Amino acid sequence: MSEIVRRILVYIDGTEHAMVAAHYAVCLAKTLGAHLSALFVVNTQALGALVKSRIFLEDEEMEYRTDLRADAERYLRHVHSIGKAKNVPIDLINISGSVSVEIKKCIKEKNIDLLIIVELSKIQSRRDQFYDETERAMCSVPCSVLIVKDGDRVYPIYDHLD
Amino acid sequence: MNLLDILTKEVIAVPLASCDKISAIRELVQLLKKSGQVSDEDQVYDAVMIREAKGSTGLEKGNAVPHARTTAVKKIAAAIGIAPNGIEFDSMDGKPAKLIFLIIAPPDQSGTHVALLSEIAHLTQYQGLIEELAAARSADKVLSILQGEE
Repeated sequence: MSEIVRRILVYIDGTEHAMVAAHYAVCLAKTLGAHLSALFVVNTQALGALVKSRIFLEDEEMEYRTDLRADAERYLRHVHSIGKAKNVPIDLINISGSVSVEIKKCIKEKNIDLLIIVELSKIQSRRDQFYDETERAMCSVPCSVLIVKDGDRVYPIYDHLD
Repeated sequence: MNLLDILTKEVIAVPLASCDKISAIRELVQLLKKSGQVSDEDQVYDAVMIREAKGSTGLEKGNAVPHARTTAVKKIAAAIGIAPNGIEFDSMDGKPAKLIFLIIAPPDQSGTHVALLSEIAHLTQYQGLIEELAAARSADKVLSILQGEE
């Protein structure tokens, strides 16, 4: 096991881009002999805010919450299979709450020393700089953060992993 | 993904030609159809109106966020309508809507849909920005205001 990175957390945000991060995380965990966890946060804070702002009805919030939980399970199952194919066990964590808060909490609880996240949204306005939840987590976590880009390069690396 | 990733001037109506809620929603759906993002205009319109029938998405201070999920789009799509004189939208505070954000998502992209609606909810908290948008006289101006370049 590498002394530099022992415990890796990959954040799965429910996008296809997150799968690139998951593939990269499996490659890194296997290469370094590190323990890998994958976290999906069902963003119930955002759902609550949408009800509060009256954009969502309460019924609608429940419907989306159910769908997001199903998404979480689906994405984490996929991440599990990505690891299994390369004999990399992955600790799957499915939690609800605020994205940045839950990422930070998980990092502390599991003594994570490297957070892997998906490519951030392009900042197109000054307001975006203060809004993106993943970026907020990136700025506030106590460990190092690796941002995965370039899926075209990542997938062949994963494919060639023994 | 954020709002500016999917907005183009082709899906921004400045000003909206419509004078009532139903026509305004139809006009914005037509913009999405013209931009090639919608396979079935009626399906999208019906989905939005079914949601509106459960409770108006007219918020406070002149904002409205009609939205729906439907298989008539493959990717999340957004259109904006500016109504300088306001449109009666059954809003929470009874004020007419001057800024209408239409958001349509495929059923399997709930996470992205929630993120985009959250961004708009966040945006509507900037009263100065909302006033600037409502006063915009072109789609280019709307985009530049959203980019924070004004």
